[in-house]
Amino acid sequence: MISLSPEVTKLHNAISPNELSAEQTALEMRDLNLFYGDKQALYNIDMKIPKGKVTAFIGPSGCGKSTLLRCINRMNDLVDICQVKGEILLEGKNIYDKDIDVANLRQNVGMVFQRPNPFPKSIYENVVYGLRIQGIKDKRKLDEVVETSLRKAALWDEVKDRLNDSAFGLSGGQQQRLVIARAIAIEPKVLLLDEPTSALDPISTLTIEELINDLKETYTVVIVTHNMQQAARVSNYAAFMFMGELIEYSDTNQLFTTPAKKKTEDYITGRYG
Amino acid sequence: MKNWFKSGAPWIWMTAGAVSLSLISVLGLLLMIAWRGLSYFWPADIYEFQLEQGQAQQKIIGEVYDTEEVSTKRLREAGLTIPSSAGESVERLLVKTGNREFVELDFRWILETDIKSAAKTTGIAVFERSKNGNFYGYVKHVIIDGQQADAEKLESVIERAVDINDKALDLQNDEIGAINYRLEKIRLEKRALELEGELTEEVKTQYQAEIEELNKNYQEYEKELFKLRQAANRDAVVVEDMRGELVEIPATQILDVHFPNDMTLLAKTGRFFVQIGKFISDDPREANTEGGVFPAIFGTVFMVILMAVIVTPFGVIAAIYLHEYAAKNNVTKIIRIAVINLAGVPSIVYGVFGLGFFVYMLGGSIDELFYPEALPNPTFGTPGVIWSALTLAILTLPVVIVSTEEGMSRIPSSLRQGSLALGATKAETLWRIIIPMASPAIMTGLILAVARAAGEVAPLMLVGVVKMAPTLPLDGNFPFIHVDRKFMHLGFHIYDVGFQSPNVEAARPLVYATAFLLVTVIVALNITAIGIRNHLREKYKSLEH
Repeated sequence: MISLSPEVTKLHNAISPNELSAEQTALEMRDLNLFYGDKQALYNIDMKIPKGKVTAFIGPSGCGKSTLLRCINRMNDLVDICQVKGEILLEGKNIYDKDIDVANLRQNVGMVFQRPNPFPKSIYENVVYGLRIQGIKDKRKLDEVVETSLRKAALWDEVKDRLNDSAFGLSGGQQQRLVIARAIAIEPKVLLLDEPTSALDPISTLTIEELINDLKETYTVVIVTHNMQQAARVSNYAAFMFMGELIEYSDTNQLFTTPAKKKTEDYITGRYG
Repeated sequence: MKNWFKSGAPWIWMTAGAVSLSLISVLGLLLMIAWRGLSYFWPADIYEFQLEQGQAQQKIIGEVYDTEEVSTKRLREAGLTIPSSAGESVERLLVKTGNREFVELDFRWILETDIKSAAKTTGIAVFERSKNGNFYGYVKHVIIDGQQADAEKLESVIERAVDINDKALDLQNDEIGAINYRLEKIRLEKRALELEGELTEEVKTQYQAEIEELNKNYQEYEKELFKLRQAANRDAVVVEDMRGELVEIPATQILDVHFPNDMTLLAKTGRFFVQIGKFISDDPREANTEGGVFPAIFGTVFMVILMAVIVTPFGVIAAIYLHEYAAKNNVTKIIRIAVINLAGVPSIVYGVFGLGFFVYMLGGSIDELFYPEALPNPTFGTPGVIWSALTLAILTLPVVIVSTEEGMSRIPSSLRQGSLALGATKAETLWRIIIPMASPAIMTGLILAVARAAGEVAPLMLVGVVKMAPTLPLDGNFPFIHVDRKFMHLGFHIYDVGFQSPNVEAARPLVYATAFLLVTVIVALNITAIGIRNHLREKYKSLEH
């Protein structure tokens, strides 16, 4: 069994995710099926993601957790052969509706990828990229956003003197925090993190995890990780996925201490994955 | 031995050998054209030969251009009398004697056996003239304002002549040129109004007044020009040529004089560079066999830049469509293969296409629509620099498309996704991330395109290049850039000087010099583009994962 931090233990009596009220729900997936050509990758996913909490998707490689995450901001649209059936409700509205503007959706659902992917621009320009896309030109407003976003991403003190330097001059961990700052600069409602620390060293990982803890004050965070300790440390709720199916979904403490399903127990005790 | 083969050493030797061979051939080529081209500018020593053929004695002044060995037998068979003391073969010298108006040929072969003496006599002057090529001889005295003066005044005479010539030329090209340009414009404007039926008496008188004004100015300039020419005509230099006769050379014809036999090495070096400078900055003279190649350099560079301006946006836009928007199916694949294969079409075919489509169809239609007043004289419906640039733009389009596409596919997809995830549309991502990051690849395409276009001659002969263009495509008359004009090109200049010249011997070194210059121009264009590309590469250096 995995030892849990006292903070997580405190949350032991959190409400079960299925009993969340409409106000407490940020996202709701209804009977979500996803196909790559003929191959089905997700099977009948039904889940509610709580607002203002950190939800982790765990599971072995290829179980569909990243695919599910990418459904939330419709990143899967980029794959030609990908087909999605079912609904994902963001504030009661299905994001797969025909009248949804995908660019607008992605402004509301930010995403951070596995590897840091800063643009070949200055640190400053990286942070304001999303704002510039929205057509904001007011220099004062931009300056302000750069400072608040970098502060929230715990990067301000390290880069405040070299905002106009290339973002490529930063270390991997700094780059990943810059990418997070870039994502929160446009004030999304939901922040998706796709294995955000898998390419980083342990110290950077720790910084990012602390950051995630702070972010949940303001944002709904969904994180994909294959590191169970990390899921246990940072998340309030955890979903275990296996072969494209959602096996178990409950508050993190319960999932790790008293898993309801045999497959979950096998996974968290390290029998596979 | 077997082990040696197994070790892979022969393989390394073979590959290294192939590289050295290519390197040697490239360097050898460059060195040869550089040596032969540049030695033309070095002030050669002038010899005074005393020839003796049987009883006849002759004096020849000139520079040795070339030497070769000829077999005695062949010369005897040709009916020449060769002394029996000569061996198997004798040396034959090619001497440039200049003075074209007094001898049949300004180059002649003389046999070593005929030479009684050869001396680098001091005091031999070489005159560069605007007519009839060089003149060799001894300066006897000068004539200033019709009065005979000491030979020491030579320098001031030449200086004055050059000064007056420059002034006259400026007057002719700038002031008088502008008046002629304006007069032609007025004629066309009047004709245009006439065609539209709006040529009222009032307008007519207005134009008439302007024409009279221009004519008045013209006459003033002409008077000035005559005065200048008269002033120059009163000066002359009297020279004793190799026949021993005194020849009076009018100062207006003299461009330059030097005394190569009396020059120090330093002076010769100085003159060498001055001559190169003149070659680069002067207009050609005497059916391109003398003077410089400035219009050809200008034409080449101007045309290539115009082509680059046309081909880059076209190629990039086409590549964007193919790479980003076109469906990934067989049709796209076929289109891509077709584009790549376009690069293999012989360039003359593009020339024929350019002539048929651009010049006659497009140019003809433009003339009918916008320049009806000039018809039947074509404005755009005739070969010109814009059509050359367009033809070469199609020729080089595949190169730009292919390298741009390659550059775009090298951009990590994580950056594209990162931009999309921030709420950017595909077009915004393209504009802000993909194109800037593909710009080094675009530059690579452009470098290849420029390298190919600058060296291309065959299609240009059909769509705009001429032997001698009276005006540059860029001048002081509004709208300053005249893309309908014909132009000169270094590549064509080489062909023209080398193969169409009336004076083969005189033209030969010019062929090498021009070839070397063409290579230099292309290298300069490429280095500029490579410099820009490296700067961009540094700026958009990809992440090192």
